[in-house]
Amino acid sequence: MPELNLVQAVNQALHQAMEEDRRVLVLGEDVGLNGGVFRATEGLQQKFGAERVVDTPLAEIGIIGSSIGLAINGFRPVCEIQFDGFLPSGMDQILCHMGRMRNRTRGRHTVPMVLRCPHGGLIHAPEHHSESPEAYVCHTPGIKVVCPSTPADAKGLLIAAVRDPDPVVFFEPKLLYRAAKGEVPQEPYETPIGKARQARVGSDVTLISWGAMAHTCLKAADMLDKEGVSAEVLDLRTLTPLDLDAILASVQKTGRALIAHEAPNMGSWAAEVSALISERALLSLKAPVRRVGSWDIRMPLFRLEKHYIPDAERVLRAAREILAF
Amino acid sequence: MPITSADRSRTERIEILSPEGVRDFSIPVDLPADQLLSLYRKMVEIRLFDERSVKLQRQGRLGTYPMILGQEASQIVPASCLKPKDWLVPTYRGQGAYYARGMRLRYSLLYWAGDDRGVKFPDENNDLIFAIPVGSHLTQAAGLAWGEKLKGQGGVAMAYLGDGTSSKGDFHEALTFCAAMKLPAVYIVENNHWAISVPREKQSAGKTLAQKAWGYGAFGVQVDGNDVFAIYKAVSEAVTRAREGHGPSVVECETYRLSHHTTADDAGRYRGSAEVEAWRGKDPIARLKIYLERENLWDADKEARLQKDAAAALEMEIQAYEAFPPPNPLDMFSENYAAAPWHLIEERAELQKILETKTGEENLPVLPPAEGRFP
Repeated sequence: MPELNLVQAVNQALHQAMEEDRRVLVLGEDVGLNGGVFRATEGLQQKFGAERVVDTPLAEIGIIGSSIGLAINGFRPVCEIQFDGFLPSGMDQILCHMGRMRNRTRGRHTVPMVLRCPHGGLIHAPEHHSESPEAYVCHTPGIKVVCPSTPADAKGLLIAAVRDPDPVVFFEPKLLYRAAKGEVPQEPYETPIGKARQARVGSDVTLISWGAMAHTCLKAADMLDKEGVSAEVLDLRTLTPLDLDAILASVQKTGRALIAHEAPNMGSWAAEVSALISERALLSLKAPVRRVGSWDIRMPLFRLEKHYIPDAERVLRAAREILAF
Repeated sequence: MPITSADRSRTERIEILSPEGVRDFSIPVDLPADQLLSLYRKMVEIRLFDERSVKLQRQGRLGTYPMILGQEASQIVPASCLKPKDWLVPTYRGQGAYYARGMRLRYSLLYWAGDDRGVKFPDENNDLIFAIPVGSHLTQAAGLAWGEKLKGQGGVAMAYLGDGTSSKGDFHEALTFCAAMKLPAVYIVENNHWAISVPREKQSAGKTLAQKAWGYGAFGVQVDGNDVFAIYKAVSEAVTRAREGHGPSVVECETYRLSHHTTADDAGRYRGSAEVEAWRGKDPIARLKIYLERENLWDADKEARLQKDAAAALEMEIQAYEAFPPPNPLDMFSENYAAAPWHLIEERAELQKILETKTGEENLPVLPPAEGRFP
């Protein structure tokens, strides 16, 4: 099986999605001739033409709004917002329209589109290039939110997202674009949206995360292993709808859970996962559920980012605390 | 090197039918008499609807309602220049535009009574629900137009906006997209001079709003927005340009909001009656009636019959609206996703239990079956 990195897996998924369905369009800033600033769309315009792979004007409202219009009008747009820090410019379309159109029109008009956006920090990028805005989107009804951590899942989830009848926001951990490598089947396939992945089996504590932080949790699990602690790592992959069954099954087994993520803790998606565990598995818990997120301040410039975003050491410390509770 | 003019605005203003009902025949407009009469009837009917809606609101039989009094021409005429399969995206002050496309008034009432079942357009139409956050529909209309261009069957997308909305970034991004990609889009700016309490001159120092179009490489024209002939000429030409692949247009219809912003507003707080009275003299319906009578296309008998028929038809629509049973609260959960996720299934079941309890306790009326797709 060929080994790909995560951005190559995204690229392959886009090629195959465009091959199998002529309604699929790719649009965004620099996605055409340049192949995207991370090369996620490399080769698409050469292969599928400038009518289907479109360099749009530099305008996020326009990119997302016109994608909504294209989707209503029978196409399957896959738009790219170049960086997570530029997503807020288009949030009006996401919050007020993308997920609402199906319900507002009583099912008459639907928005089968994918919004791809790089996610997270730790690549020494300039300001507003290292954000983790998933909670803003997850909070919005009518939308599915995905954030893979392996090349195989990136490909399978992106193909599933393009085929999905509802809008999907697809966060791509930019730290993993080249760092995460793995075997990826050549043929098109779907990784189901709404299903978590058991990244490591354990019995003493559950480390829940998504995106790049799943790898941090695996590293922390290795460190815990040396201390004689068996940690389970759950990679959520889909943030909405959450795989509640997988979360509860793991927590009921281990009795302890922490949720590690890159966004500030307050009002985060980790807080939602924590609340669900507390509401539904209280009697299985041997310790309070912990959120391990970034500090509740803005993302700093990159010299301090490794002190801002939790590393394996911080996950380990939190795990030790709940194990000692 | 001499300094040259890099660009020059070519914004024209079209006026054909004067407020006194005198038509300038030197400007050709291909608008046959039967079509003209149809436009007149719809304008009269929607004005009657507007008046009755305000009364219904005052009687507590309708929610907050946005009046279109004075804007009947700029509402009815542009939408009438489209084919059913063209896309229409009006503003929330858009009951006239929808009516011109055949939407039944009972649904307009139902929507403004706070009932989602009011979002019901004729099946053969490509009508889209308007956006309440102003301007957020403009880039969506660009996407609809983009889709029409890709399909290559000559379809167009038309979106309405107001003078206030022309200040929004959405307008800029929509026009940028449409012009750069030569999309078949038509934007109707209903410049009614007031964005709630903020007058037109505070929105832009530009002499017209139409002239903004040229900056994007789109076509822009201003018309007397109370003049059926001028609107029809400018909009039908814009639609033809779009259909034939010549790109987007902005048609600014200069009209006036004779009433309050909505029934929740009091325009007396921020504007004088002299201005309003001056605009009453430019009424779009009155001037067309004078013209039709002068051309022997209309008379007092026909007017009396129209008023009577329109009132009777409207009364039926009001009765049909009020005959709707209360919505089943479970309808909220339908049509949120193609397949409902677990948390909606749980929450709907919870509401269902609450409703069953209430039916016994509080004599909750018997509810109609839940509508829509679930899960």
